[in-house]
This record gives sequence, C-alpha cells and structure tokens, in this order.
Amino acid sequence: MTIYDLVLGMLQTCSILAMAPLMTGIMRKVKARTQKRRGSGVLQPYYELSKLFKKDEVVSDQSSWIFHYAPWIMLVSTITAALFIPVFLPFSPFSSAGDILVVLGLFALANFFMMLAGLDTASAFGGLGSSREMMMAALIEPALFITIFVISLTLGGTNLSALVSAAASSGFLIAPSMLFALIAFLVIFLAETGRLPFDNPATHLELTMIHEAMVLEYSGKGLGMIEWSQSIKQLILLTLVVNLFFPIGMPTQINNAMISPIALSAALYLAKVALLAAIMALAESRVAKWRVFRLPDLLSVAIASSMVGVVFHFL
Amino acid sequence: MELELFIPDNASLFFEGVILCLLAGALLPLAFRETRWTTVLSFGPMALGSIMALALSLNIILTGSVLSLGSPILAPIHGALMELRVGGLGAFFILMIGVVTLPVSIYSIGYCRQYYGKHSLRALGFLTNIFVLSMILVPAANDVFSFLVFWETMSLASFFLVIYEHESGSSVKSGLTYIVMTHFGTAFITASFLVLYSYTGSLSFDSFRNPALPLPIFIKEVAFVLALIGFGSKAGLVPLHIWLPQAHPSAPSNVSALMSGVMIKVAIYGLALVTLDFIDPSIPQLAWLGMLMVIVGAISSLIGVLYASVEHDLKRALAYHSVENIGIIVLGLGLSVVFMSYGLTALAALALLASMYHSLNHALFKSLLFMGAGSVISSTNTRDLNRMGGLARVMPWTSLLFLVGSIAIAGLPPLNGFVSEWLTMQALLSSYQVPNVVLQVSISFASIAFALTLGLALATFVKLFGISFLSKPRSQEAENAKESPKIMIVGMAIVGLLCVVLGVLPFVATRIIASSFGFNPSLVSDASPFGALTVPYSVAGVQSVSGMSMPEVVVVMGSVTALLLGFVLATNRGRKTARRAYSTWDNGFGAQDERMEQTASSLSRPLRTVFSGLFRPHTEVQREYYSDSNHYIKKSIRMESHIRDFFEEKIYSPVTGATLTVLDKVRRLQTGKVNSYLLYIMIILVLFLVLVAVTS
Repeated sequence: MTIYDLVLGMLQTCSILAMAPLMTGIMRKVKARTQKRRGSGVLQPYYELSKLFKKDEVVSDQSSWIFHYAPWIMLVSTITAALFIPVFLPFSPFSSAGDILVVLGLFALANFFMMLAGLDTASAFGGLGSSREMMMAALIEPALFITIFVISLTLGGTNLSALVSAAASSGFLIAPSMLFALIAFLVIFLAETGRLPFDNPATHLELTMIHEAMVLEYSGKGLGMIEWSQSIKQLILLTLVVNLFFPIGMPTQINNAMISPIALSAALYLAKVALLAAIMALAESRVAKWRVFRLPDLLSVAIASSMVGVVFHFL
Repeated sequence: MELELFIPDNASLFFEGVILCLLAGALLPLAFRETRWTTVLSFGPMALGSIMALALSLNIILTGSVLSLGSPILAPIHGALMELRVGGLGAFFILMIGVVTLPVSIYSIGYCRQYYGKHSLRALGFLTNIFVLSMILVPAANDVFSFLVFWETMSLASFFLVIYEHESGSSVKSGLTYIVMTHFGTAFITASFLVLYSYTGSLSFDSFRNPALPLPIFIKEVAFVLALIGFGSKAGLVPLHIWLPQAHPSAPSNVSALMSGVMIKVAIYGLALVTLDFIDPSIPQLAWLGMLMVIVGAISSLIGVLYASVEHDLKRALAYHSVENIGIIVLGLGLSVVFMSYGLTALAALALLASMYHSLNHALFKSLLFMGAGSVISSTNTRDLNRMGGLARVMPWTSLLFLVGSIAIAGLPPLNGFVSEWLTMQALLSSYQVPNVVLQVSISFASIAFALTLGLALATFVKLFGISFLSKPRSQEAENAKESPKIMIVGMAIVGLLCVVLGVLPFVATRIIASSFGFNPSLVSDASPFGALTVPYSVAGVQSVSGMSMPEVVVVMGSVTALLLGFVLATNRGRKTARRAYSTWDNGFGAQDERMEQTASSLSRPLRTVFSGLFRPHTEVQREYYSDSNHYIKKSIRMESHIRDFFEEKIYSPVTGATLTVLDKVRRLQTGKVNSYLLYIMIILVLFLVLVAVTS
C-alpha cells in the first residue's frame, strides 16, 4: 500500500461521507416532483445537518448512558464501514482489514444500539419502533447473507476490493445468478434504509413508523448524527449495488500516473449513483406502505430469489 | 516455550493439584460449622483448582505433549481400572472449563451468601466442587469405564444442583426431566462405545484411536449416530433439548453459568472425540455424517433462538440461547467433517477452528450472561423480564457487563462472538469446494438458517437487555434494586474482559486452538499475530484472499471516533451545546407511566406473529362489563397468551403418555396376592422348560 493509494482511499471515504446527504436530497426531490410538489433543494439535508449539529439538545429524563452514546456508536460504526468500500476505484486500501461481512456486522452494531435507544426513553413510540425493527432486522439478515453468498460465489470471496475488481474486469451481470442477487439486493436496500413499502421516512404516524419511532426522542446533535449515519449507510448500499452489478466505467487497474481515468470513473460513479437513487425514489413513489405483517412476504421473495441464484450457480 | 513452568513433567503435578484443590473445596466446608464465610472455604479452593486446570491445559497445549498418568496419588485407581490421558483435544476443553470456573468461583463467593440460613451452603460447595472436578476428569478419561464414571458423576452432581432450591415444585420437576434425559443420553453413549469395543476388543480409547484392523464403514456409521444421539441429548440438540430450558434456569445462577457455559461443552468434547479421534471421516462415503451434523446444528440453532425470542423469563431465554449456540458449534463441526471427508484439509481446519472458537466464546459469554442474570435476579427477586426495567441506573456495572455479553453473543464486532461467526460464515461460503451439488445446495440452505439465527439473536438481545436494564422500572422490586457486591462484579469483569480480548485479538484463540488440534495456524491467519484471519478463494482462474483483521478494525474505529470528536467540536466553534433533561414526549397526555411502555411480550409480538406456525400462540381474553346491556364500556380486560412448546406437545407428551398407559396395564399383574405370584413363577418355569425342550 503506497501513500498514493492511501490518499486515494481516504478520498473515496470522504466522498461517501460528503455526498451521503446529497443522495438523500436527490431522493426527496424526485419524490416531491412525482407528487407534483416543487420540494426543497437537493442541498437541504446539508442545511438541516448543520443546523442540528449546532442546536442544544433535550434528552429524556428517563434515559440512561445508552441513549447518550448510541448516536456516537452508530455514526462511528457506519463511517468505519465506509472505509472498507471501494467507491470509484476498484480497491479500498483498508479492505484487507474488513470484508463485506465486517460491513454487515458494523451495520448490525449500529442497528442494535438504535433499537436499544428506542427502548431507553420509556416512550411508548420508541418501544413500538424497536419491536418492529427487531422483526425486520431478524428477517433482513438471512436475505442479505444469502445474497452475499451468491455474490461471493460468482465474483470470488468476501474481500470488497477483490469483488469490485472482479466485477470491473468481467463486466455487467456476468451470470444469471447475479441477476437474482440484484433483485434480492434491491429489496434489501428498501428494507435496510427504511423506505416504502417497508417504512416511510417522512411519517410520524404511530401506525406506520418504524425508524422514526425509534429516534423520536432525539434532538440536536444526537439527531444530526443519526440522520447523517442513515444517509451514509444508504449511500454505501447504493455504492455496493452500482459497483457490484453495474461496473461500467470502473477502471480495472489504477496506474499511478493516470489521473484522467480516475476522474472519469468518479464522474461516472456519481452519475450512476444519482440515477439509481432517482430510480429507487421513483419506485418508492409507485407503492403504498405495506402492512407490517405483510413485509416478511417481501423479504421471503428476496431470500427465494437469492436461493434461486445459488442453485443457478451450482448447477 | 522457554518458560520454566511449561515443561511436560509439570503437567502431572498440576493435574494432581487440580484434584487436590477441588477435593479440598468439596470437603473443607464439611469440617466446619456453617457461616457466611463457608462460601470462601468451598469456592476459594475451587478458584485455585481452576488456575491449576488452566496451567495444566496450557502446559500440554504449548508443549504439544500428551499427559499419561501414573501418579502415586492416583496409583490405587490407576492402572487396572482407570486409564487417564490428556491430549490436545482434552487439554483444550480443560482450558475452557478452567477459564470459566475461575471467574464463576470468584463470583460464587459473593453470590452464594444469599442462601445462608435458607439452604445448606456446605452441600452447595460440596456438589459444585465435585461437579467441576468430574467435568475436568471427563476429558482426561482414556477408557470407556472411567469416561462413564466421570460422566455419570457429572450428571448426578448437576442433578442435585438443579434441585438445590427444592422447595419449589418446578425445580424438582425439571430436575426429574433432566435426569431422565441425561440417562437416555448415557445409554446411547454406552452403546456407541460398546459397538466400537465389540470390534476392537478393548475398552481403552487407545484401541479405538488406532484399531488393529481398520474399522469397517458400517461400524463407524453406527457408532457415530449413537454418539450423536447420546452426546446430543447432553448438549441440548433439538429435539433432545427439552430438559435444557427447564434445568438450567432452576439451578442457582452460578451453577447455571457452569452448566450452560461448560457442561454442555463436555458433550461437545465427547462428540469431537468420537468423530475426530475414533472415526476418521476422511473418505467421501462418510460425508453424510458431517451433513447430518450440519442439518441438526442448523435446526437446533434456529429452534433455540426462536423460542428464546419470545421467552420472558430471563434465565429460560438464556438457556434457549445455549441450544442455539450448541447448534452453531455442531454446524461448524459438521462442516469440518464434510470437508475432511473430501480431503479439503485447509477448509476442515477452518471449520474446526470456527466451531472450537465458538465453543470457547460461548463458554465465556454465556457464563457472563448467566452471572449477570444471577445478579439481577438476586437483587430484584424475580426472573420475569416484565417485572424488571430501569436497572441500568441502579446497577451500572452489572448492566455494562451484561451489555458486553449481549454484544458478544449477538455476534457484533468488535467482540469475540463476531470473530467465530465470521469464521463460520467463511466456512459456509467455502462450501463451493465440495464436489457434490446436493451438499452444496443443502449447505447454502443451512446458511440461510444460520443467518436467520444471527438476526433473531440480535433481536432477542435487544429485548433481554432493553427490557431488563432500560426504560422505567416496571415493579417496586426493580425500583429498589441494588448493585451487587464487588466480588461478584470482579468475577463477571474477568469474563467480560476475556470476551473483549478474544474479539480484538483473535490470534490468542486461533493459536491455542491450532496447537491443540495440531493444524498449522498459517492455514487461517497471517504470519503476524495482529494480522488478518484469511481465507483463500480460488476457482477457475479467480484468485483472491478474503480477510478480516479485528485489531485493525478496532484501531480504525478508534481513530474515526477521535476525528469525529474533533469534527463535532469544530462545527460548534468551541461553543459546547447544552443538554437539557425533560420528560419523555407523551403527546400531551401528561400521565405516561411504566404501564405504557413495551413489555417483553409485546416487544416480541411481531416475531410471534411471523412465526406463529411454530409457536401456535393461544390467547384467552376475559372482558368484564359494567352492565350486560352495554358492551362498549368495560370494567376490565384480562388477556393471557401462551405459546405451546411444539416438541413437548407433539413428541414428548405422546411418548410419556404411551409409556404411562403401558405401565398402567403392566401394573395389573401386581395384585398383592401370593397365589398369583406363584402362578407367574409357574408359568415362567413351564415356558423355560418348553424353550429348553424346543432348542435342544
């Protein structure tokens, strides 16, 4: 690992951290447009974050230290996960330390503390959110793991650098198994980021909210950290979809002297991610929120799809 | 090892030390009058004995020697009757027992004082020491006879510990279930050994290891299946797990920690001994043995965690989690056998490492959680989660340590549970190398079950920790709870620290396991101790290395935290944002109390609904009205909901029912009249005479 690689790697991570709110803004804008609203500007999430980080906080007098530290743990583990993700280069300098399973583990850690924080304030809403999230998290896990199983079988291993460069050198959807994995991954994306039909990020109605219910008691800095970590997680998942399934324009190897392919790849990456975010937002606008107990059906579809992918791969 | 301590001669010394210390712990308290200090007399020597056990096992593992005993103290029983030998496999399990009994004995000094004046402390000390001694001796046994003697001593001692609080009827009932199931298991273990004996003609394990003639495949298969049933019933594999969630919670919590932490691991030792040492599964025909273990393991882990997720008794939930974790361990062991049978040595080592790493981890975090549960229960006097709450504020240390245990068992980074689950996942992902499509697809089904187990375990520990330690107290007892004595905290802190160490520095465990089982550690990790655990991937032209380095992940997390602190300070330009405490948002209702927060049962309600096919919840609602004419205004509503245990209802009840019916019929023979008994003797005699006449 040279200094040059390290700098590029840090640049990748910083770009995820910096662009995460932008993607949230784009998705909101697209949703507003499809609802015949003008919507706020795509930079609005940045203003919100900077406002939240400067505000004083009100915390529940029932809460314990879990409530205080949960936003920190969530943000730290999500940023750590972002370090292992190749963004516009076919490698990440840290990916020998953490593979895709570590990324999942870090997401689960963040989720664990968010569910605990939901319970901590003795609020009836928080517990409701945690209770629903417990069910969702438990069912997402097998869908996600079996999807990774397919990806790992097709592209080789769990090391993210190896996976992304294998995808880059072999091109778009090299095997039928990958198509099934893609279907599953998109369903998981909707579920993991709390989007319709699983959860409505814009709701504050007790019948429907999951994620919002858990963070209802947060304000100020704590809320800002949670929102930022949510959008980072969303961008990480979008990046994985783009780099594993649509690696068009990703250079297969990086030559130290060449800046232009990297710039090209970065521009293409940004375009692809923005496009994918817009498509997901459009898809989201087309569906209604599902009843909580119908959601396992959708996740079963994801599991079944990936399982078909596994069988396709082995046969 | 250059250390003076680690020379093979010392091993036998330490072995005698273990036996002497534990016997002292058992007998010393009997010599004195019972006081509050009796716990020191019995558990002090136990701690010393555990240290000896650690020294013994490390000595054997690090020198790579084998201890065969012929010591003067043991001479009377050694030789003709009993053969003792500690090899790498046995030493690893003795290490696991020692590493758990040391903190548990420290914890017990404080914990058991609550029984003073209510129950006999001397009996508790005696039984616990004998229990630990017999657990340590099982892996040291080297012939059928001594193995079974120690095994039975272990079972009986633990039976008496389960019924220690015998005035409660439920603990006697669960004790009875336990002793029936454990003897069912012993019968199968004995049968398995006898099958091997019938072929080798010697009861010594050495003859099983190196039979004069290679064992026929059929004998191996029969011996394996019998051993799987026998040891499986002790380990708590589904459907033989039925005793575990009854017996483990009934025992005092320090004993539960030992039973769930290490006793069921002794059964895993037995299974590993039979599979790895006696039956060498290195031919493809024996792959199905491994696959059987994978299937049983996957089912056990899933069933265990599903029942845990809807349980609202803290200790029962933890006991169901033992079923889950034993399932994961057996799944890893089974994968190792599958890989071994196809000659995939490196992968077999990986799967074995995953399985044994998880055994060690489970011993640590499960004993930590049971000790934590013991602290909670002794200060709130209830095992019901729905009567706890808010304990994080009154019991800060216990809550922190319970959280460490929860994170570890839920398999979250950076603690030890994650490392072993990562290894298990890698072993599952490596199944593409098995040259058999049916096995490949079945293993991927098993990995779905495994991943679902992990997800449910995460959910369950949100519930167990969240309901007991967070939000408002749900009862007067929880409000008045006090932090446990320091000595109990110390006992828990040791295990908590080990959970962190084995998570952050996996090389400590991987090297110990690699040298106990005699495989090269370079198969699974970098040369540098802080380097990554690595799994090579190679298939038709694609070469890569999947790796994970927990030390680096932790360093990265630390630096991210530091940077983030700087970032947050910078955004405020040095001005500190204020925090104001205010009551929780209640929609302006103004009277939100603890009755409105989630309970353990309501929290797991979505899971109960999703998996209602298994749980078949039975709900009963009683409404009371002010007047019969108007059903809109209710005086009270009472709802009761139970889940029905599938296995108890569908498997055990029919069997016990049928047995009782048959025995009832048989009882009619016993009339109490001498005349009829004479008639029976007469009939038998005639039958024998006929038999003799016919056969001769």
